[in-house]
Amino acid sequence: MPEPCISDVDFTMFRELFYRKTGIWFEDGKRYFVDRRLSERILASGKGSFRQYYQKLRWSDNGAEWQALINALTVNETYFFREVHQFECLVNSMLEEIAQHKTPGGVIRIWSIPSSSGEEPYSLAIYLLEKWRKLSEFDVEILASDIDTEALERARAGVYSARSVQYLPKEYLLKYFTPLPGDQYQLNEEIRGTVAFSRINLVDPQDTGMFQNIDVVFCRNLLIYFDDISRRRAAETLYDALAPGGFICLGHSESMSRISSLFTLRRFPEAIVYQKPIRRAP
Amino acid sequence: MKRVLIVDDAVTVRLYHRQILEQAGFCVEEAINGLEALEKAVAAPFDLYLVDVNMPRMDGYTFLRELRACEEARQAPAVMISTESQEKDRMAAYAAGANYYLSKPILPETLVRLASLLTGGRPS
Amino acid sequence: MALRKATTIPLQSGAADESSALESLVRQLSGPDVEERRHAARNLANRPDAAAVLVSRLAQETEPDVREAIATSLSAIGGREAVEGLIPYLSSDDAALRNTAIEILQHLPADVASHVDGLLANPDPDLRIFAVNIIEALSHPRLETWLSDILRNDPHVNVVGAALNLLSEIATAAVLPAVEQARQRFAGEPYIDFACRAVEKRARES
Repeated sequence: MPEPCISDVDFTMFRELFYRKTGIWFEDGKRYFVDRRLSERILASGKGSFRQYYQKLRWSDNGAEWQALINALTVNETYFFREVHQFECLVNSMLEEIAQHKTPGGVIRIWSIPSSSGEEPYSLAIYLLEKWRKLSEFDVEILASDIDTEALERARAGVYSARSVQYLPKEYLLKYFTPLPGDQYQLNEEIRGTVAFSRINLVDPQDTGMFQNIDVVFCRNLLIYFDDISRRRAAETLYDALAPGGFICLGHSESMSRISSLFTLRRFPEAIVYQKPIRRAP
Repeated sequence: MKRVLIVDDAVTVRLYHRQILEQAGFCVEEAINGLEALEKAVAAPFDLYLVDVNMPRMDGYTFLRELRACEEARQAPAVMISTESQEKDRMAAYAAGANYYLSKPILPETLVRLASLLTGGRPS
Repeated sequence: MALRKATTIPLQSGAADESSALESLVRQLSGPDVEERRHAARNLANRPDAAAVLVSRLAQETEPDVREAIATSLSAIGGREAVEGLIPYLSSDDAALRNTAIEILQHLPADVASHVDGLLANPDPDLRIFAVNIIEALSHPRLETWLSDILRNDPHVNVVGAALNLLSEIATAAVLPAVEQARQRFAGEPYIDFACRAVEKRARES
C-alpha cells in the first residue's frame, strides 16, 4: 500500500480532533513528526486513506486505535527526573505553601499516579532528600499507584537501565544505586522502602474514594488517554483525594482547566500547577 | 501588535474571524470554549476578547463574568457574539461585562471597525 | 522527621458507598451543603434509576461544581429518560443550563438519534442550531443527509452556517450541489461564502 498522503487540510482537521480528545496541540513545526507517525498508524489500522482513518477515529473507534495513536504521538518514555522543573516547583513553591498550614511534625502526603515502573515516585524521594531543606521538620509519605501489576512489581524491584537513569546527576547515581551486570542499576533498599505502592484503577468506581488528605498529586500523561467523561470523573476523584490547598501536577502539555473547573490554576516560577481551594467560597 | 482572543466552538467561525482580523493587522489566538479561554486569558491577557455565547464546558456569559473577576482582565474590552434570535440576551451580555454585542453573521468591515475602536485605534 | 513509608493507605471516610440507599443520595442531592450535593451527584453516576431526579436537579442547582458533577453523571448514565428530560432545557433562558444540556446530549449520540428529526424541524432557529451541534457525534452517513437538507432548505442563515461548519470536517463530493445551493440562497453573506469555500475545499481534497 502506498504511504497515505496527508494534506494541509487533513493536518488541520487532525490537529483539532487530537486536541479536543487529548488537550495536546501540535504547532506547525511538528508537521513532519505528526505526518510520519500518523501515516504509520493509518497503514497499521488497514485504512486506505487519511479520510477513512479520520472517520474511524471520529465515529467508530472503541478506544483501541486512539490508545495506539496517542502512544505514537506522545513521548511517553519514563525515566528518572523527567520534567524535573515540576520537582523544583514542588520543593521551592508547593511545599512552602503546604508547610505553612501543617503543624510541625505533621504528615505530608505525595501521590504519584500512574507510577509505572517507579521512576517518578523514586525521583520524588531522591529529590526531596537532596533538595528540600525542611524535610527534617515533617514526615513525608510517598504513595505510588498504577493499574498495571507487572509495572508495580518492576517498581518494587527497582532495577533500571542506563537509559532510565541518564539524567540523574552522577553523584546521586553513585549514592542511591548499586550497579548490576548488563549496564543496569538497582535503587538501594532505603529508598525503595520509602514508597508505598498500590494498584488503583482511577476510573473504577470501586477504587474511587481510596485516598484522602493528599497534599500533592503527580498525575502526568494519564488523563490524555481517557474519554471525556472518564477524564472528568478521574479529575473529580483526584480532587476529592486532595486535602484543601493541595496541588496536582499534570504533564506539561495537559491542562486541568479544560477538564474540570473544580481546580484553581496556580502559576509558579517553575511550573503551572492546579490547586484545590483551601476553603470553598460560601 | 494588538492581541485578540477569539472564543468560539465552531472552527469555521474562528477561521473566518481570524482571517478578517489578521488582514487588519491584529495578532489572533483561539479558544474553543470558555474554560480554555479563561486559562489563556490568565496566562497572557489580551487586548480584545471576541466571545461566542453558546459553547460547551463554559458558556460566554460565565466566561465574561470570570474574566471580569480577574485582576489582569478587568478592563479589557470584550465583544459578545450571538445568533440573532437571542436579542433578549443583549442585556445579559452587558450585565456579564461585555462592552458590545454583535449578531452573527458578522460583516468584515463591522468587525474591523469595532476591534480597532475598542483597542484604541490602529492595531499595531 | 523524614521520608517515611506509609503504613496504612489513607482511605476516605464516607467514600463512594455502593450500598448507599438511593433515597438517601437523592436527599443529599438537594441538601444544604455544597460538597455533599456534589458527592451525591457523583455517586449517582452508577444509578440509572436516578436519571430523572438528576435532570430535575440540574435546572435548580446554582453551584457550578455541583452542576458539573450532575452533568458528568448524566453523561455516564444516558438513556431515554435523560434525553427526554434534557431536550426541554434547550429552550431555557439560562445559558449555562442550555449549554450543559447540549454538552450532555453530545455525549449520548445513540440515545439522541431518534429525536434529531424533530429538533431539526423546530420553528426556533436556535433549537435547530443546537440540533446541529448535538449531531456532531452521530455516525457519518446520516449526518451528511441531515446537513444537506439544511443547506438546501433551512431559511435561517445561522442554521445554514452551523451546518456548513460541521460539513467542513466531513464533507464528501456528494454534498457539493447542496453547498452551491446554500451559496446562492445566501448570496451576499460573506460568512456563508467563506464557509462554503471551506466545505468545498474539504470535499475536493477527499
